[in-house]
Amino acid sequence: MLSFTLRRLLSTLVVLWAVVTLTFFAIRLLPGDPATVLVSQAGGSAQDIAAVRQQLGLNDPLAVQYVRFLGGLIQGNLGVSLVSRRPVADAIVEQLPHTLALATSATFLALLAGIPVGIVAATHRGSWIDQLCIALSVLGFSMPILMSGLLLMLLFSLLLGWLPATGQGSWRHLVMPALCLSLASSATIARLVRTQMLEVLPQGYITVARAKGVVERVILWRHALRNALIPVITVIGLQFGSLLGGTVVTESLFSRRGLGRLVVDAIFWNDYPLIQGVVILGAAIYIAVNFLVDVSYGLLDPRIRRG
Amino acid sequence: MNRFLIVFTLLSMLLVSCGGQPSESSLVYGLTLTPSGIDPHVDASSELGIPLTSVYDPLVWLTPEGEFVAGLAEEWEISDDGLTVTFHLRDDVTFHDGTPFNAAAVEFSLDRIADPATRSLKARGMLGPYDRTEIVDDYTVRVHFTEPYAPFLTSLSTVYLAMVSPDAVSQWGAEYQFHQVGTGPFMFDEYVPRDHLTLVRNPDYDWAPDFFDRQGPPELERVTFRFYPDVATRALALQSGEADVMGEVSPQDAVRLDQSPDYALTPVSIPGQPLQFFVNTQRPPLDDVRVRRALIYAVDRQAIVRTVFKEYSLPAYGPLTRPTFGYDPRVEGMYEYDPQRAAALLEEAGWIDADGDGIRQQDGVPLRLETILMGWGYIPEVGQMLQDQLRRVGMDMDSREMTFSNAVSDVADGRYHLAPFVFSSSDPDIIRTTFQSDNIDGGFNWSKFADPQLDAWLDEGRRAIDPEARRAIYGEIQHHLMEQAVILPIRDYVNLNVAGAHVRNLRYDRQGWFPWLYEVSLAEE
Repeated sequence: MLSFTLRRLLSTLVVLWAVVTLTFFAIRLLPGDPATVLVSQAGGSAQDIAAVRQQLGLNDPLAVQYVRFLGGLIQGNLGVSLVSRRPVADAIVEQLPHTLALATSATFLALLAGIPVGIVAATHRGSWIDQLCIALSVLGFSMPILMSGLLLMLLFSLLLGWLPATGQGSWRHLVMPALCLSLASSATIARLVRTQMLEVLPQGYITVARAKGVVERVILWRHALRNALIPVITVIGLQFGSLLGGTVVTESLFSRRGLGRLVVDAIFWNDYPLIQGVVILGAAIYIAVNFLVDVSYGLLDPRIRRG
Repeated sequence: MNRFLIVFTLLSMLLVSCGGQPSESSLVYGLTLTPSGIDPHVDASSELGIPLTSVYDPLVWLTPEGEFVAGLAEEWEISDDGLTVTFHLRDDVTFHDGTPFNAAAVEFSLDRIADPATRSLKARGMLGPYDRTEIVDDYTVRVHFTEPYAPFLTSLSTVYLAMVSPDAVSQWGAEYQFHQVGTGPFMFDEYVPRDHLTLVRNPDYDWAPDFFDRQGPPELERVTFRFYPDVATRALALQSGEADVMGEVSPQDAVRLDQSPDYALTPVSIPGQPLQFFVNTQRPPLDDVRVRRALIYAVDRQAIVRTVFKEYSLPAYGPLTRPTFGYDPRVEGMYEYDPQRAAALLEEAGWIDADGDGIRQQDGVPLRLETILMGWGYIPEVGQMLQDQLRRVGMDMDSREMTFSNAVSDVADGRYHLAPFVFSSSDPDIIRTTFQSDNIDGGFNWSKFADPQLDAWLDEGRRAIDPEARRAIYGEIQHHLMEQAVILPIRDYVNLNVAGAHVRNLRYDRQGWFPWLYEVSLAEE
C-alpha cells in the first residue's frame, strides 16, 4: 500500500511538472504582448511600450524565464502578477474559497437532484415518468449557463424577489449560481444512475433480497444503488473539472468573485504568471479530486480495497 | 462522499458569508471591468477613477464648462516661457489620516509619479516633461518642466495626478492601493479585488469649490462600488434594487430603462478619440488616398450609430470626439455619406468591376479589405454593417473577430487593412499616441501614417501654452488627418449611466467617466 501511494505521488509530481512546462511555453507562444496590452489602457509611445516590456523581464530569453520560474516554483513561489504587481499566490488564495464553495455546492446539488431522478426513472422504466426524467435531463444538459442563469434571475429575483440576482455575502447569493452550474452535471448523473440501476436491478441478488422480504426502499438504496454508484463516482470526479470550468461563465454572470473571473482577466491581460498559477492550481485540484475518487471506490466496493 | 461534500459545502459557505450590510444613506454603484490595480499614480484604468475621484481633491478643478478653478491650489501663475507653474496652496486642508496638506505633500505626490520605481502606466505620461517641484515656502510650490507642457492643468484636474498623503504612502508602500488617503469628500474604507470597494463620508470636509451646489461634508454616508462584468446582468442588478447606479448599460437596456419613470439615464460623452478604424496607409490598395476617401464616403455612419448604439451616441467625423479640447467641427462636413462619390473615386483609382460579380478588381486582384474586429464595444455589430455598406460600392470586406492580444500581434505583422480602437483622454495630446511617426513600429500608430508636418504640429500642440493658439493647431491636425483619410471614424464614445430615480444630482466631470458623488443625495422612499 505504501509503495502504491509513493508511486502515485511521484507520478502526480511528473504530471504537475508536465502541466507547468506545457502551460509555460504554450501561453508565451500564443500571440500577444502584455506590455502593449498594459499601455493600451492609457495610450503611450512605442518607447513607453518597450520600457514596460523591459521592466517586466519579457526581453530575457525564454529559457532564462523558464528556469527563473521553475526555481521560484520549487520554493513554493508562484511569482508576481505582471498586471497587479501582487503575488500570484495572494490573488489565488483570495479567490479560491469562493470558487470552491460554488463548485462543491453545485456538485452537492447535482447529486441531490441527479440520484433520485435517476432512480425514479429506472424504477418507472418506459412510463411517462421515465420519459419526463429523460426530457428534463436533455434540457438540463443542453441549456447554456448564460440562458438558465438569466431565466433564474428573472424568476427568483425580479418576479418573486426571493433571491438576490448578483453578488455574494450569504447562502442566498449562492443558490442560483450553484443551481445553474449544477444543471448539466445533474443531468449527466441522472442518466448514468438510471442506466446503472437498470443493469443492477434484474440481477440475482436483488431477486434474493426481494424473496427474503427486504423492504423495497432498502433494496433500492442499499443493495442496488451502492453497486450502481461506482461509475457515478468516477463521473463526479470528472464533472468537478468541468464545473471548475463552468465557474468562468457563472461567476461573470452573477458578478461573483472567484478563480473563473481571475483567469478570464489574466488571459485578457496576457498575465503569464497568473495564468500559470491558476492552471497549476486547477491541475492540482483535479488530481486531488480524482485521487479521492480512487480512494472512495474502496469504501463502496470491498473487493477493490482488498485487491 | 455525500457526507464529506455536505460538510465541505457548509464550511465553504461559512467562509464567504460575511459582509454586506446596508445603512441609511448609502449608495451602491455598479462598475464594469475589474481594474488591474487601483493606485491612481500607478494604474491606468478609467474604472479606478470612478470611485477615487471622490477620495482626492485636485490642485485645480476643471468645471463642466471647461474653466479651471481653485482646488487645493488657490491661485497659480504660469511663467512666460511656459517652463514653470507656481501654485499658492490652501493652508486649511488636512488628509484623512490627519497629515496636513502642504507644499511638501505636492512635491511628494508629483515626485512619486515621476519616480521610475513607481512604474506608472498613465500618470507619468500625463505629467509630461516634468523636471522637479521646488518648495518656495510651506504653502507655495513651483513646478519646473524641461519644456513647455500645455496639458498640465488638465492633467492636474484628474485623479491620476492625485495629491496623496506622504505618511500613508510611506507607511503602506506597495500596499498603498488598499489604504489610500486623500483630502476629498469621501474616505477610502476598503477594497476587496473583484468584489467591492467602499468609501465613507469625510465629516471634516470643508473645502469644496464654489461650483458645487453644496458645501461641507457630503450627504451620502457610504458608497459601495460593486463589479458587474457581464453586460447582461447590469440592468438586472438595477431592477432588482441591488445597485442604485450602473455605468455602461447596453444601448438596448438604456432605451428600455429610459422610458420608465423609475430610472434616470445620464449619457456622458467621453473626450479623447472616437471608436475608429485605423486605415493601414502602407498596404495596397489603401496606400492610395482616393481609395481611403472612397472608403469613408461609402460608410453611412448615421445608420450604423442609430442601429447599434441607439439615439444616445453621435457619429464621429474626425480623430477627436466633440467634448475634447480643440475639437474642430469643420471635419463634420468633410465626408457626407455619398456612395456615388465613393464609386467615382474608386473608378478614378482604377478599380472596376469587370466580371460583374459585384466586387471591383484591378489587374485581376479583387478589392478586398482585411478587417480586424474585437469582441467588445459592439465592434462586431459595427463590422457587419460596414461589410454590407462597403459591398454596395463594390468593396469586399473580409473580417476576423479576435481578442485584443491577437489583434496587437496581427497589427505588428501588418496583416490588416482596417483595425479598430478607442483611446479616451482628457487632452487632445492623446493623438500623438496614434499618429506620431515614431509610433509606427511597436506603437499605436496603426494607420502607419508618417508625415513630418504632422509630427511638427503634434509637438507644437503639446507646447502651446496659449489656449487659442493651441486650438488652432489641433484644428489643422484634425483637418489634415481627415483630408488624408487615415481613419474611418464611427462613433463618439458615450458612457450610458442609469440611476434609480431616487438618486438625485448625479453628474459627471469633464472626463465623462467620473461622477461627482459629493453632490449626490437620495430622495426619501
